[in-house]
Amino acid sequence: MADILGAFEQAVLLAIVRLGEDAYGRAVLKEVQVRLDRDVAAGAVHATRDRVENKGLVASRLGSGTPIRSGRPRRFYRVRPRGFRALNETRAAVESLWRGLEWPLGESS
Amino acid sequence: MTATPPEWAEALVRLVLDRDRADSVSGDLLEEYRATIHPARGQSRADRWYVTQTVGYVVRSAGFWAAIFGGAFVARTALDWLAPTDDFHVRSAVSTSLGVGTLMVAGLWAGWRSSRFAAGTVAGIATAGFGAVVSIVGAAALLAVAHDPGTMAAIRGSGGLAEVFTLPFMLLLPGAIAGTIGGVAGAAVRRALSPGSPSPTIAP
Repeated sequence: MADILGAFEQAVLLAIVRLGEDAYGRAVLKEVQVRLDRDVAAGAVHATRDRVENKGLVASRLGSGTPIRSGRPRRFYRVRPRGFRALNETRAAVESLWRGLEWPLGESS
Repeated sequence: MTATPPEWAEALVRLVLDRDRADSVSGDLLEEYRATIHPARGQSRADRWYVTQTVGYVVRSAGFWAAIFGGAFVARTALDWLAPTDDFHVRSAVSTSLGVGTLMVAGLWAGWRSSRFAAGTVAGIATAGFGAVVSIVGAAALLAVAHDPGTMAAIRGSGGLAEVFTLPFMLLLPGAIAGTIGGVAGAAVRRALSPGSPSPTIAP
């Protein structure tokens, strides 16, 4: 059985999936903040990106910089097949946990 | 005029990042600062945001080592309070070696990551500083649990409460020195094994 991803790992990986070709560091940060609807520290997203990259779930490449970044390069991310597999298995595991339960909980009891 | 975050914070954040990531990650921070934070919050609050982000990076880079360093302090304190002795030589030798060793390894790791010896200095100071906080919180929790007359006598016999709560913060300078030594070694090994200078700081 593959590792079940944590909530923050899922947020980062799904942000990369949604952004597609535009998934570079700051864009991923903004997407995670929008989806989680809260302010998230840049370092937290960076650490998670590093972790999922070290696990072989995403790959990265350097791209060009822009004037607003003082020319510093952007690092673009893409989800690897192993990352898609981990996302699918995580979703399946969560759905299995919820199967047979009415949502939201506690309203009918 | 182009908005610019505090230079020292920019330099610090680059020091705690991996050599190969320093440009792209600091570029992300700079872009967020200039495109979103500064226009919405103004100079001083944007600078505060940048410094907060920097502190977050420093905490993440030193957190593991600080937990070991502070944990060792708490373990030594617990031993002295709960299993008193008259001869502290062995305990002192072990805990000092462990503490200095942790600071040097933290510096070595940081120097390796960034290819800069100064990263070791930062790692040593951060490890000692955050470790001191861990140590003091741990000692306070221990005191809350164990404060019977026997334990209080053991505390007095091992240097007293003042030592427990002040000594950790006196280790910032030794932390800087041990971290720098480790940093020099780490940076030298990284440069020897994978040549290529650390990414240069790009002018704003």
